[in-house]
Amino acid sequence: MNDEKKLLNVTIDGVELEVPAGTTILAAAERVGAVIPRYCYHPGLSAPAVCRMCLVEVEGAPKPLASCVQPVQDDMVVHTNTAQARKARRAAVEFLLMNHPLDCPICDAAGQCELQDYAFETGQLKTRYVEPKLVMGRDKVTPEIVYFADRCILCTRCVRFMDEIAKDPVLVVINRGQRGYIDTMTGELFENPFSINIVDVCPVGALVNEDFLFKARAWDLDQTASICPGCSQGCNVSLGTKEERIVRAKPRFNPEVNSYWMCDHGRKTVINWGAGARIEVPMARDGDELKPVDWPQALDALSEAIGNEPGRARAIVSAGASNESLFTLRRLMEELGSDGGVFRVPTGPEAELPGFPKLKLRRDRVPNAKGAELLGFQRSDAVFDSAQGHRGALFVLEDTLEGAPDGFGTNAELFVYIGTRLNPAARSADIVLPSTTFAEMAGTFTNFEGRVQRFEQALRGPGLARPWWLTGSALLERLGAGGRYRTAAEVFAALASEVSEYEGLNYEVLGLKGAGAPGSSAAATAG
Amino acid sequence: MAYPHAHPREVRLLSKYFGDEDAIGIEGWAERGGYVALEKALEMGPDEVTEVVKESGLRGRGGAGFPAGLKWSFMPKDGKRPNYLACNADESEPGTFKDREIMRWTPHQMIEGIIICSYAIRAQHAYIYIRGEMVDVVRVVNDAVVEAYRKGYLGENILGSGYDLELTVHLGAGAYIAGEETGLLSSLEGRRAEPKVKPPFPAQRGAFGMPTTVNNVETLAAVPHIVENGADWYRQWGTEKSPGTKLFSCCGHLQRPGNYEVSLDFNLKELVYDLCGGPPEGRQLRAVIPGGSSVPLMTVDEIDCDVSYEGIEAAGSLQGSGGLIAIDDSACLLRSIRKMVDFYAHESCGQCTNCREGTVWLANILRRIERGDGREEDLPLLLDVGANMAGRTICPLSDSAAVPVVSGIQKFEEEFVAHIKDGTCTAVR
Amino acid sequence: MSDGLHPAVVSAQPSQRDEKNPDAPLFEGEYQDRLEKILSRYPFKRAALLPVLNMAQQVRGWISPDTIKRVAEILELSPAYVRSVASFYTMFQLRPAGKYLIQVCTGIGCDLCGAEDVVEGLLKATGTRIGETSADGKYTVVEVECLAGCGFPTMVQINDRMYENVKAEDVEGLLKELD
Repeated sequence: MNDEKKLLNVTIDGVELEVPAGTTILAAAERVGAVIPRYCYHPGLSAPAVCRMCLVEVEGAPKPLASCVQPVQDDMVVHTNTAQARKARRAAVEFLLMNHPLDCPICDAAGQCELQDYAFETGQLKTRYVEPKLVMGRDKVTPEIVYFADRCILCTRCVRFMDEIAKDPVLVVINRGQRGYIDTMTGELFENPFSINIVDVCPVGALVNEDFLFKARAWDLDQTASICPGCSQGCNVSLGTKEERIVRAKPRFNPEVNSYWMCDHGRKTVINWGAGARIEVPMARDGDELKPVDWPQALDALSEAIGNEPGRARAIVSAGASNESLFTLRRLMEELGSDGGVFRVPTGPEAELPGFPKLKLRRDRVPNAKGAELLGFQRSDAVFDSAQGHRGALFVLEDTLEGAPDGFGTNAELFVYIGTRLNPAARSADIVLPSTTFAEMAGTFTNFEGRVQRFEQALRGPGLARPWWLTGSALLERLGAGGRYRTAAEVFAALASEVSEYEGLNYEVLGLKGAGAPGSSAAATAG
Repeated sequence: MAYPHAHPREVRLLSKYFGDEDAIGIEGWAERGGYVALEKALEMGPDEVTEVVKESGLRGRGGAGFPAGLKWSFMPKDGKRPNYLACNADESEPGTFKDREIMRWTPHQMIEGIIICSYAIRAQHAYIYIRGEMVDVVRVVNDAVVEAYRKGYLGENILGSGYDLELTVHLGAGAYIAGEETGLLSSLEGRRAEPKVKPPFPAQRGAFGMPTTVNNVETLAAVPHIVENGADWYRQWGTEKSPGTKLFSCCGHLQRPGNYEVSLDFNLKELVYDLCGGPPEGRQLRAVIPGGSSVPLMTVDEIDCDVSYEGIEAAGSLQGSGGLIAIDDSACLLRSIRKMVDFYAHESCGQCTNCREGTVWLANILRRIERGDGREEDLPLLLDVGANMAGRTICPLSDSAAVPVVSGIQKFEEEFVAHIKDGTCTAVR
Repeated sequence: MSDGLHPAVVSAQPSQRDEKNPDAPLFEGEYQDRLEKILSRYPFKRAALLPVLNMAQQVRGWISPDTIKRVAEILELSPAYVRSVASFYTMFQLRPAGKYLIQVCTGIGCDLCGAEDVVEGLLKATGTRIGETSADGKYTVVEVECLAGCGFPTMVQINDRMYENVKAEDVEGLLKELD
């Protein structure tokens, strides 16, 4: 065991460094900023060393070595970018391109394709292969993932993901040599809750998700760091957006939460979140009608209504609302005298990723149940019961009100609906305020184990929609109940000073990988 | 002189009973001195046996020539994990058919070597990984193994020594690469026969993740002779670096093709012209491949060397598996080279990029040149593709595929040029 | 029911018989016994995959998707995995062949000594093309790589039998001998 911790000296491209025994050359090289091209190597999977792309020159070694598996030895001198190493890489790219269809113009991976990148980098622009190309065609491997055999470079990342991480070895190499291709059991499609990760790990365009097929070019997408709202796991994701729409979500590495992976349910939830007709303007009741108003008018109406002392406040909130929005509502309710708030949690079957068991598609299919709880809201299976017959002020924050009973909210002195969609039950509100989704604002969610994670704004909200914490804090200022917050970070700072579980946290501490609330089970692992 | 073409200049240790039907069964084999060495070995300590084999200088006969005793000495002695022996009987190097004949005529010679080796490396279970296509030989080996069990040479408490050994015959299923050490182990474990990166070496992590020695049939068949007669006795043949005798499988354009066992200091040219009788009447030899299709072609001028590992290497090729292929002037050398490359393209496991694609590329270029569509730039291209395949992959199959092409161009450029420039062949029909 | 085979050699029974019964039950009767003997020779089930596939082929004549699923179930592997392994090895027939699977070595040793003529002769005599089964279902002729008998060219394997030194003129007699 002591050997493991032993430090070894290694020189990489002239830079000397010390690494622990067992470090591969590839990993050591990354520490000095030398990125060695690779195809079959993926940091989340075993390394078979088959693509022969990561070959480097080691002084004293008769042949170039595969840096992805070769452990550093003491006093090793490595050159990653000599003429020999470059020739080896250029050769590997040339071999891979022999039968490649070069259909980049219609390939989904174009722009994010490692074959393109390295072909460009190694400068082998003209092939010397003049023989006829092998044509193999395409086929589905899951109901939504298509395999283009001709683009495949047989790196086997997808095979290893299914075998080692999903522990569901349904994807394999068929045949051998150049006749090899990836397939499932004869004539069968496979289904696995984590299947789309095989599309992510594919370094080329061989595995593509039909959901994304031909929808966008990779270079047209903006990327934003975010958190998946699909369940209480809180997978770190990167949102790919184009023209104010979310086109896809891909996992963003976080060793504490989701490693390199995420589930298929999450991806779909992200894309569908906020879809459909949205509330785009504030509305205020005028007799039987809800009439569009501007924000000053809406806030005037709301502060006037509150001034009329409608009575103690109750709330139904969504566990998909950010901590900042929930905290803002809590503050407002405290002004009126809070009578408590509830939230409901849709659930579904749990699915674990066996090779990274920390990651589960969790039963609670909302991102912030824990956050809502820590802010004093009560989880309930019967959220509408508490509102039934309530005569004071009633706030609904981002709950869709689906399934609300007839006449919901009609007894309340003041019924304020803050949300994104105007379901029938919301139409009886006195004031309707359009809010934004997680993708349209910055904020934080607190995952199942109390880990607090930030998400950034990826889209503009529709019309006049604004984050509730922004409009809520403006309202509180008018009511003389506190300063106005201009950023989500400021709201969070106020939250952290008030709610003991968040003590010591701020946006800087959270960074983009989040941190456990002190004392929680995910204690302080800022990344 | 019974077995196809035995020759008085041979030194027949392993091949003495080739052609002798009565040597196949265990009774006949015992009458010919079989299993005496085993009795002797079981009276020695395992390490003593290893020491004798080490001293004899016996080198692996599968192609790489690694010293056998040294290989055995890498095996752990602590008994913490089970040790295994895998006998590599997956003979498939084109031009090689010696193991087949050892197993066909003297299966007990191999089995005795397996038992002695297993004892020396402290293995409790040995596997014979035998090539699936060798249907006739498989039956012979199966019968012999059952006989050995019945006689108490296998199973529990062998010859009262307290040593137990199980031996299982495991059938290959058609994959040349299963003859590569780590490919064989992958296959034995129920996987695709894909070679693995070394380290770890099989002596650390081999079959089923346990320490394993992999030895070729011919290597193991030599062991009883060495144990019975001693290291010095074995060293009376061959050279300092290549002691003993070796079987050469000789095929192609020869008057008397077959297996010849010679002292390892025997002259290669005499092997070809004297023992094998040279090319058929009226023909001239053009090329000799001394060690299976994976080693460089030699011109007839180059073969005046001894057949030791170092002798053939100094002359510009390698001893390899001892599969000698003679090609005379009636053959299109380009076609012969292409056939060899086709073989590797067919047998590449396909893991490593350079091999999977390079083997087919080489074959495609050669086929195009054969067809008369060669281009001048094809020669430098073939050489460069060959260079890009050599030394870049997990196992040496990729190197092997490039060898006939590169050595062919180096030594027989006129053959390629004739095809490319004039669309003709230098073969004399 | 026991077949009397010693457990040491159960994993090495040639598998291309003349009689092929694609619907025969797998792993029943004597084959149940064989399966157990095979499993007893390896430290874990997966290692028995090649011998078990081989036995399945012996029983049914080829490895159908259905056979793959059965083998996967018995050895606790995924069907895809079994398919992958089976497709790696050329001796596993993933498609049914004729009654007589005729494999002609066209490796370098035999090629130098006229293997091409033997192939041609066999195709002519059986009225087939390479890899194709004759109309009467009797013959499938394929070219194979080196059969490790380069000193006895041309090497021809027909089901479980090996023929050495086959010349083009021997082809007719060889086929007659089969019936």
